[in-house]
Amino acid sequence: MNKNIIKIFFIPLFFLLIVFPILALIFNLSVDGIQATMVDPFFWDSVKNTMLAALLAAGMAVVVAVGFAYYHLFHPESLVYKVANLFNDLPIALPHTVAGLALLLAFGRKTFGFLGETGAAFTLFVVILAMFFVSYSLAARTLVSGVDNMEPEVIDVARTLGDNTVQVYFKIVLPLMREAIFSGFVLGFSRSLSEFAAVIMFGGNMPGRTQVLASYVFTKVEVGDLDMAVTAAVFCVALSFLIVSVLSIRRPKYAES
Amino acid sequence: MLKANGINKRYGHQIVLQQASLEVKSEIKALIGINGSGKSTFLKIVAGIVEPDEGQVVINERDVSSLPPELRHVGYVPQHPALFKHLTVKDNVLYGLRKEAKVDYMKVVEMLDIKDVLHKRPHELSGGYKSRASLARALVPQPQILLMDEPLTGMDVVLKERILPDFRRVLKELQVPVLYITHDPKEAELLADSYAIIDNGKIHSVNTSIEAFDIIHNSILQAYSC
Ligand SMILES: Nc1ncnc2c1ncn2[C@@H]1O[C@H](COP(=O)(O)OP(=O)(O)O)[C@@H](O)[C@H]1O
Ligand SMILES: [Mg+2]
Repeated sequence: MNKNIIKIFFIPLFFLLIVFPILALIFNLSVDGIQATMVDPFFWDSVKNTMLAALLAAGMAVVVAVGFAYYHLFHPESLVYKVANLFNDLPIALPHTVAGLALLLAFGRKTFGFLGETGAAFTLFVVILAMFFVSYSLAARTLVSGVDNMEPEVIDVARTLGDNTVQVYFKIVLPLMREAIFSGFVLGFSRSLSEFAAVIMFGGNMPGRTQVLASYVFTKVEVGDLDMAVTAAVFCVALSFLIVSVLSIRRPKYAES
Repeated sequence: MLKANGINKRYGHQIVLQQASLEVKSEIKALIGINGSGKSTFLKIVAGIVEPDEGQVVINERDVSSLPPELRHVGYVPQHPALFKHLTVKDNVLYGLRKEAKVDYMKVVEMLDIKDVLHKRPHELSGGYKSRASLARALVPQPQILLMDEPLTGMDVVLKERILPDFRRVLKELQVPVLYITHDPKEAELLADSYAIIDNGKIHSVNTSIEAFDIIHNSILQAYSC
């Protein structure tokens, strides 16, 4: 077989399908677009909303994932774990419009009507819930693989030294999993940044209130402000690059034994 | 003092322990067996880490069979030193001390010659010092029995022959009963007062390490001759 076979299909496909679209965005930047976007208060609101909601959603995702990883480690036979495990990966395969609809029905007018006409829906708070819903599984998977990579004897020794399962989890397991926790947070954060469908169905797309970067780009395309859409899009690309590089810089410090 | 009576354990269809019983008095007892004979499983059952299908574990006249590891007062030195990497050696060694306990840990630290490395992190230690620290960590809370699971695995013979007599001196001075697990009768000889072998899920006492060696030798031959 031709030893260049991998090169021949990988390089053109990768550059055509991944790199080229990103370059297309960058080459379409225009001075007018950048200027208009930079003075648009709704753009900055959407940046602020995105960052704030994604940070909080990722934080929540990690907290809940810490709970799940505990069950994974110490009570894998329990009913709680089995049910949680079943639901865990569901959001990954679920169309995010479905997630948005589910959230809308759960926290909307019927159940949370006392909060107002539309229940809890269409507030920044539910944008966070939507982001949490789609990013939790990523955080949970990352933490579970962190737990699975631990040397079990370390936990056993701590138990014989007097720790119950909760003590050993907080004093030994979590500190040793700092890298996994951090990765889980960053993955959850980036998943939250990129969420569109669930956010827009549940939180709406109200400039200045519940609009996030993803929905800002969508709105600008829809109303024909392509220049501004491109500017916001390149901003997103830069943000993603930043996150990816943060992830790759912080590689395991505790790899040595 | 440890008494384990009639321990049964199987994993799926594989019977690992079958009516295994063992007594450790104020002595260092070596439990010798080939790889896969169920040594670690037995030790983890004594420590409360693995649950047996049947059987009883009694430590100092107290039936601990249904207690979790943290209530059994056993010391555990596993196959790899398993030090807590995020803590200094000192914090590792003191980990088992609860606030109310006032124990002179420096005695153990000095006997095991780790005083100079207390401020270091585990990854800065050589293999020998990791093993010493791991032993110190298990000894400082004054366990009622010390369980050691091939703690010198992977260490070269020269180092083993230096470190084992050291360990023996310390364990004798502290008068802690020890169950020391190994697949190597020579290692057992350097450390132990008495010997037992584990074979086919059962534990038998033997009088000398030479006797142990013969039995192990035969069972290895049996295992590999078809
Ligand atoms: N958690 C487990 N699940 C299934 N089988 C196991 C487990 N732990 C040990 N075993 C099996 O039990 C047997 C005894 O293992 P072990 O007690 O570790 O032996 P030793 O320490 O003497 O080498 C081995 O065949 C091993 O594969
Ligand atoms: Mg073993």
